[in-house]
Formats: sequence, structure tokens, C-alpha cells
Amino acid sequence: MTYLTAPPATNPRTLGLRPAAAQVIEVSKRYGRGDSEVRALDDVSVAFAAGQLTAIMGPSGSGKSTLMHCVAGLDTPTSGQIMIGETDLLSLSDRELTQLRRDCIGFIFQSFNLIPTLTAAENIALPARLAGRKLDKAWFEQVVDTVGLGHRLKHRPSELSGGQQQRVAIARALAGRPEIIFADEPTGNLDSRSGAEILAFMQRVVAEFAQTIVMVTHDPVAAAHADRAVFLSDGRIVDDIDHPTADGVLARIRTIGA
Amino acid sequence: MFALTIRNLIAHRMRMLSTAFAVLLGVAFMAGTLVFADTLTSTIDDIVGHANANVDAVVRAPEAISLSYGQNGRLVDADLLDTVAGLSDVAEADVQIRGYAQLVGPDGQPVVDQSTATSFGYNWSTSDQLNPFQLIEGSEPVRPDEIVIDHAAADSAGYSIGDTAVVLTSHEPHTFRIVGVADYGDRTSQGGGGAVLFERDTAEQYLAEPGRANAVVAIAADGVSQEELVDTIKGAIDAATPDITGSEVEVITGQALVDEDLGGVSGAIGPFRTFLLVFAAIAMFVSAFIINNTFSITVAQRSKEMAMLRALGASRRQVTTTVLIEAAVSGSLAAGAGIGAGIGVAQMLRGLIGLLGFELPAGPVVISSGSMAAAFGLGVFVTVFSAVLPARAAGRIPPIAALRGLTIEAVGSTRRRIVIGAVVTTAGVGTLLAGLSSRTVGVVGLGAVATFAGVATLGPAIVRPAARVVGAPFALSGVAGDLAVQNAIRNPKRTARTASALMIGVALVAFMAVIGASTTASFAVSIDQNFNGTHVIDSGGLDVSAGFTPELADQLRATPGIDAVSEFRITKARLNDADVVTDLEAYDAASISHLVDLGVVDGDLGALGSDGIAIDRDYADANKLALGSVIPAVFASGDTHLTVRALFDGSEWLGSQFMDTSGFDALVPDGLDYRVYVSGDDTVVQRVATGYSGTRVLDRAEFADAVGSTIEQFLAVIYALLALAVLIALLGVANTLSLAIFERTREIGLLRAIGTTQRQVRTMVRDEAMIVALLGTAVGIGIGTFFGWAILRTLEDQGFNTLIVPGTRLVSIAVIGAAAGAITATLPARRAARLQVLEALATS
Repeated sequence: MTYLTAPPATNPRTLGLRPAAAQVIEVSKRYGRGDSEVRALDDVSVAFAAGQLTAIMGPSGSGKSTLMHCVAGLDTPTSGQIMIGETDLLSLSDRELTQLRRDCIGFIFQSFNLIPTLTAAENIALPARLAGRKLDKAWFEQVVDTVGLGHRLKHRPSELSGGQQQRVAIARALAGRPEIIFADEPTGNLDSRSGAEILAFMQRVVAEFAQTIVMVTHDPVAAAHADRAVFLSDGRIVDDIDHPTADGVLARIRTIGA
Repeated sequence: MFALTIRNLIAHRMRMLSTAFAVLLGVAFMAGTLVFADTLTSTIDDIVGHANANVDAVVRAPEAISLSYGQNGRLVDADLLDTVAGLSDVAEADVQIRGYAQLVGPDGQPVVDQSTATSFGYNWSTSDQLNPFQLIEGSEPVRPDEIVIDHAAADSAGYSIGDTAVVLTSHEPHTFRIVGVADYGDRTSQGGGGAVLFERDTAEQYLAEPGRANAVVAIAADGVSQEELVDTIKGAIDAATPDITGSEVEVITGQALVDEDLGGVSGAIGPFRTFLLVFAAIAMFVSAFIINNTFSITVAQRSKEMAMLRALGASRRQVTTTVLIEAAVSGSLAAGAGIGAGIGVAQMLRGLIGLLGFELPAGPVVISSGSMAAAFGLGVFVTVFSAVLPARAAGRIPPIAALRGLTIEAVGSTRRRIVIGAVVTTAGVGTLLAGLSSRTVGVVGLGAVATFAGVATLGPAIVRPAARVVGAPFALSGVAGDLAVQNAIRNPKRTARTASALMIGVALVAFMAVIGASTTASFAVSIDQNFNGTHVIDSGGLDVSAGFTPELADQLRATPGIDAVSEFRITKARLNDADVVTDLEAYDAASISHLVDLGVVDGDLGALGSDGIAIDRDYADANKLALGSVIPAVFASGDTHLTVRALFDGSEWLGSQFMDTSGFDALVPDGLDYRVYVSGDDTVVQRVATGYSGTRVLDRAEFADAVGSTIEQFLAVIYALLALAVLIALLGVANTLSLAIFERTREIGLLRAIGTTQRQVRTMVRDEAMIVALLGTAVGIGIGTFFGWAILRTLEDQGFNTLIVPGTRLVSIAVIGAAAGAITATLPARRAARLQVLEALATS
């Protein structure tokens, strides 16, 4: 069954079997005015279930990045409501948003993901230090262990391969035990083998730690690793597939016209 | 290519703003100094020129040594006026008599602060043409107890016609009645104000000697040239007094006299101008660092653009030229603005010199095109020169870089850098020490510049460890501080250049602090060990030409309860046919050894007499002199011979040679006491001195304090002059940070995205600024202290025996440096904290 822009109350995912880690309710984001108005997001409602890897897909300009930025508190929608857990993002000040990003949200970017002056281990520990929290040693070691960097932990980003850097970035996102991790084209800058490794790693993280990850991508192969794929076009959600396959996603993209 | 450069400049005008500002400040200082000096010279020329503006011929005693303006040479017979005035070629003639005369105000204090200016008395010339003063109120002085005072003095002291006033001269203080007030040309005074004008006989008595005058001046009759008048007067004098010799009387043209006076003015202002220009040059030197740094950073940041130009077919040279043109254009704009600002700086300098107590006469501002062109040219040259290396680096960017990401400046080989830096530093220090021991200022300066350059070269190699040490407290204070330390060391070259600019100014400040503290301490030690008197009496004057009447010393000598008294006088003299003119001193020779420790004395100080001289052993050895040697001596008043009658060990309290006051009086008429050293009962000394206004009585501790505060005053002016160099360097810190933030936009966005608060970003930027500033100040203080130590070592034999490192002051310099660094970081830090996270992340 396909839900386009169904009202939240009737959306089974928000009533759901699993609790939602984040909800987007009737969110619009408009730029400009009058004739030149651009609707980056047009009355979008969607919920991201906890413990799932969700892929947001769509052609360039479809609004997928804007959607992620709004949910992550990096951008402010023109109207609508965004909930992270029980918190309404739009009611927060810049300081509270910063705090929320620090405590509840993790980020993985396409590139320039790490602070070049810090070692891998320092990068992983950075959010905790920024928050002035004591690092949970056992958890830190478990994360580092999962990342499998071992002896490279003392290296600086410039001494690591792209795939290794991205794994450090995922470890950094995990280290703060966020409610939700946002990944913006995490494999965009990687060769296909490293990309596959990273995707497999993200799947493992979701499975082992019950971590919620929302990933923006335009790569059908990447989307195929997700539990669910949400399709955007012209600022609207046009499809929503559970357990997507690469072929299925490709077929879907063709019909959208990406 | 040129059009492209201009477009670049316009597009990135903010980027060049601080370069422009550094150039602007440097040029403004340079131009300001020149405007100030030109204006001062012109004003004083105007004042000095007015005194003898109408004089066509002068009869006076030749000056064997040219004294500074206003000091008295030898006197001539006042009767010469009768000979001159009777000539048909002469339209008008009069005597000129001048000497020390100080008007005392109704409050008992001298009207002119004697610490900064000496004031003169003159005879009131009855010739309107020859008298530079014009009555504006009252009448001319005709009776012996009548005086005219200048307008400025009347205003500042609140005197009006009919009041009585005390006048200090080299005789006993005397009370006169004010009968007139006069202007000096179109001014209210000659300068500071306080000229006292007597009728002729009274002037002779108080300022010169009865029957004697400083000169006879004449105005030519119509159609007679100055040269013709001089010849006529010479002939008449020879005829009237055939036995007079050329060494007693000379006749020169009025023009020659004016030229001589004006030469004295530029001779006096020249060193002063050089002194200020040295500080302007320091500011320019610091600017060069900032400009070089800015261009290096911007070239690195634009390497993609440069590479693109290369890829499109631009040659290396074309790319290099683009950068140089950019430097020339921004340098020209900034230098142009700097010249405008220079006029304001000239006013500030005037105020600053005023702080030292020198009251400078006001006059119209002189802006000479030559001075302006020099300042402008230097500004453009420094800008372009500083951009040469970055421009060449720009040319070396390979076209392939267009396809790669942002290239950060490469750090050259560390080992080579250490070797070169160490060699240059060592050579610099060596040159500096050599210059110090040979007392050659130019060599000292060269050594200092080389030392700075050497340390700046070493900089990048030491930045890493040094920043970790300096940054330790910041790193411990939290993650923002830790990131700041990492940022400070990620590009050591850049940090080193920024810190080096600050290092220069701070080193000089620290150097002066060490010298000042050590001088004060050495002096205190010297008073303790070598001064045996109880009091020092002086006028509070910095200049040795300031002084007070010798009557005071005579009265002290005659007072019971006083054990020893010696005056201290000073004049210029050429001794033993030496090339240089020395400051020859005079003391009460019989008493001075009781007041000042002279070590072992051979011969008899009490028997110096009127033609004897005492010399120290170093001078004696250097000139192969012994007791009984006769040396030729040239004074302003003429030639004589002096016999060495005593040898002493030498003391920092007096020069290498001195005479007894009795002999000195005859050779230097009308001399004032610069100081009087006394040993005696405090109440007695104080009581006697009370009668002499314009003097201050200092006991041993007060004397040490007075010297200390004079040094402090001088230091304050030096600090103010160095402040501009430090300010330029701090601008450089702010600029480097702004450029770094621009470069790290994405990284800051990332930090913000993962939970860094705005406050933490601000702290990070501010801490980085403080670390860079602390690096600069710490190294600067180190170098400055070393320079101070070095120079004090070479001056050890002149009594600088105590090295004091003023710890508190040096620490406060470091604290102020760090705080100033934090303040300069305010704007860049705010900008960094306010970056929009999404936009920052989208930056490539």
C-alpha cells in the first residue's frame, strides 16, 4: 500500500508497530514569493521508525536534502511540525537546537566529514567532549571495535582512505548514542567497493544497536541496503517501499522520471 | 591581465582591507612624522628668522664653537654702537643684549616651566625696525626698575600693567615694575612665552656686564647693500680702535646671521625627526610582515583560480604579475589614504611630545610634496616588495591544481629552515653586539633587523612545540581550547609570520622596559655608593641648558650648617684639538671630592685655579696626558690653554674632564647652574633654597625617584610610539584569523552540525588568537630582554652595573598582548559563530 500525503493520524507508521524516532507533519519549505516561489517541500508528512535504516530517494532538486536538513534541525521549514522523539523542533532556540543535535542526533556527510587536526579517536570522542560529557569507555571501545579501525585510531584523517574516514564518521555518530543518525550521501565520494562496505556496516549498526538511520541517496544500490525507501519528487513524497531491491528502486525511479 | 586583477581586487576588497590598513597606518606614521617635522621647522624658522629679519650687518665676537640657538657667546664693547651709528651708510643701529631672565608669576613659580624651556631677557631696542617686539599696551621701559613682558606671559601669569614681578637672572632675584606688554611679530611670544625686556643699562647689568653687549646690529641706509655695509663698518672699527683683533670682533651680514640661526634650528630638529622616523620605519617593517602573510594566505586560497589561469594559457610570469599589480594597486590606494591620515598623526605626535613637557610653538601645517611623495613611494614599495615571494609562489602553482581541491600552503623543509634561521639569527646577534661595542647605531639596527628576520625564519620550526606549551592552559580548559591549539599549529608558517609581526613591537617594548628599569636601578645604586652629599638642587630641567642662578650656591656656601657645596655647570668645548666637541663640566673643585666619589686623586683638586683642568685616567691614557700637560681648549668665547692639575679614577657622576667654577666663569660668561650638590643639614638647605623659585631640593631618595620618573616619562613616550607597530601586528592577527575562518567555513559548519555551540566556536577562534599573540609576545619579551642585557653589558663601564629584568612589567606586557589578541579576535570569532550551518556545510 502506498501512502502519499496521508494525514498523520491515519498513517499506520505513526500509530505504528514500532515507535517513530522522528516525525514530519505537514511540512512545507518555500523559497521566494509570488511567481518566483519555489516549493522545496510541499506539505510533506512522514515518520521514521526507530531501529530502521530508511533511504530517502529522489532526483536532484526533489527536496530530499531539504527534508533531511529540516528533520535534523539544520534548516527551518516554512510551516508544519517536526518531532524528534517527544521534542518539537520548531519550538527550540538555536542553543537548544545545538544541544539537541549534540545529544540526540548523529551526522554522516558525503565528504570533509572529519576535523583534519584531530586523530580518528579524537574525532570520535569530539561530540562527547563538546557536550562536556564523560565518555562511556565501554561503549566507546565497543563502537571502535565494530568500526574495526584498531591500530589506525591514532591517525589523522589525511592518513586514512575515504572508506576508513567514513567509518570513523559513523563511529563518531554512534558514539553519542543518538536517537537518530542522518547520513547525507554517505557513499557519494567512495568507490563501489568501499561504498558497499560502508552500507553493510550501516546495516550492521542498525541490526546490532537498534540504531535509527535516515540516509539521503540517489544510488539505487545504496537504497537497496535500506529497510524502507521513501521517494520524493518536486517536494512531495511520491512513493514509499518496504525492503526495496536495487531493481525495484530503479524501476520506481524511471516512473518518477529521475 | 590588468583588467582581471582589478576585477579580482574589487571582488575581494574585504580580503585586502587589512593589508591596506597595515600599509595605511605605516604610511600615516611616516607622513605624519614628516609633516610634523616640516611644520615644526617652518614654525621655528619663522620665529627665529623674525628676530633679526631687518638686520643688515652684525658686529659681534666670533664664535669659536657654534652653540645652540639662544646660548650666549662672548660679549663685545657696547661703545662700538657709537662707531657704527655715526656712519652715513647706517640708517639705524642698536645693541643686542640677551641673557637668562625668568619671570616669576604672582604664585611664586616661574612663568616658563624651566624643565622644558629656558627663557631670556633682552634689551628693549628703541629702533622699531630692529626691535622684534612691538608694544601693544603700556610704554617702553626707560627706568632701571621697569620691564616689558611678552603678551603670552602676561596672559598666562595674569599680570597687567603696573604690577610688580620678581625676575630671576644670574644675579640675585630682583623686583621690577611691568610697564608694557609686547607681541613678537604676529605672535604673542617667541615660543613658550616669558621674554623680559629691560632698558639698555639694566639689560647690560643683569644680562651681560656693564658696558658690554652681545652684538651691535645695524640697518643699511637706502641703496647700500649688506656687503657694502659690512665693509664700511669694518673700516670704521679699524679706524676707531686700531688695536682690536679679528678674534675679538667680527662683522657679518644680516643674511649670514639669519642663515646661521636657521641652521641651528634644523640642526636641533634633525635628530628629533630621525628619532621619530625610526619608529615609523619599525611600523613599516611590521606592516611588511602582515602584507607578506596576507598575500601568502590569499594566494594559497586562490590556488585553484591561479591554476585555472595557467590551464587557460597564462604564463607563470603573468600569474605572478597579476599578484604584484594587485599589491601595487592596493598599496597605492592605502598609501594615498595614509598620507591623508598622516596630517592627523602629525597632531597626535605633537600632543605626545607635549607629554614629555616640550611646549612646541604653533604654526601653519606644512605639507611638502617631497615628504609626501617619499612616504607614498615607500608605502607602495613596501607593499609590492612584501608581495614578491607570494607572487612567485602563485606563479609556481601547476595548472593541474585546478582539478584538485583546496591546497593549503606547503611547509618547506624544516631542517633547511632551522639551519638558515639559526645562521641568520647568530649573524644578527653578532652584528648587534659588534655594533654595540663600536657604538654604531646603524650596525646595531642592522643586527636587530637580522635577528628579527632570523627568528622569524626559525618561527615555523618552533611554532609546534611552542604553541603546545603556550596553549597548554587553553587545551586544558576544554575542547574549544584544544581545537584552538590544533588550529594554531596546523599551518606553522602562517602562525609564525603572524606572531613574528607582533614579536618585533613587543621585543622593543620589553627592551625599553629592561633598559629603563636597569638604568633606574643603576642610578639608585650609584647614588647609594658614589654620592656623598645630602641633597641635589636642580631646576627639574631635562636639557642641560636649563638652570638657575649661581647666587643660590654662593648663599649656601655662606650659610652655617652646610658642609660642602658644588655647582654643576656644563658647556661645549673642543679639547686637545679633538674632532668632536665635548661637554665640558665645571664644579667647585675643592668641594666636589667630598660630594662625589672620584676614587684616587693625584695632584690637587683645590689648586685647579682658573686655567687648570682635572681629567680621568682613561682620558689621560688615551691622549697620553699626565699631570702638568698643557692642552689647547676652544670655547665659544675663544681659545685658551688648560693645564692638567689633577687626575682621578673616573665616575659616572661626572665627565672625563672638569674645571673649577672660577676658571669656567671667565670662559663661559653668564653661566647658569644646572645642578648644585650639597652636603648639609636638611632644614638649612630647604630654608636657603626657598628663596629661589624655579629650583627644587631633592634629598638622596627623592633624587633617585626624580631620575626614575624622568625615565618613566621617556619610556611612556617610547611605548606610545611603539604602540602603532603593535597595533598593526594585532590587525595582522585578526586578519589571519578572518582568512583562516573563510578557509575553514565547512569545517566550522561540521563542528556546529555535530553539536558545537556558538559560544564554543567563539572560544575556539578567540583562544587561537590568544595563543598566536602569546607566542609573539613571549618570543618578543625573550628577545627584548636579551637585547637589553646585551646593551647594558656594553655600557657597564658607564655605570650601568645593575641588570634588572622587570618581571611584573614583562608579565603584564604578555597579559596585555594576549588580551589584545583576544579583542582583535572578537569580530572574526563572531563571524565564525554566526555562520549558517547549512551554508557553511555547502561551501566547497
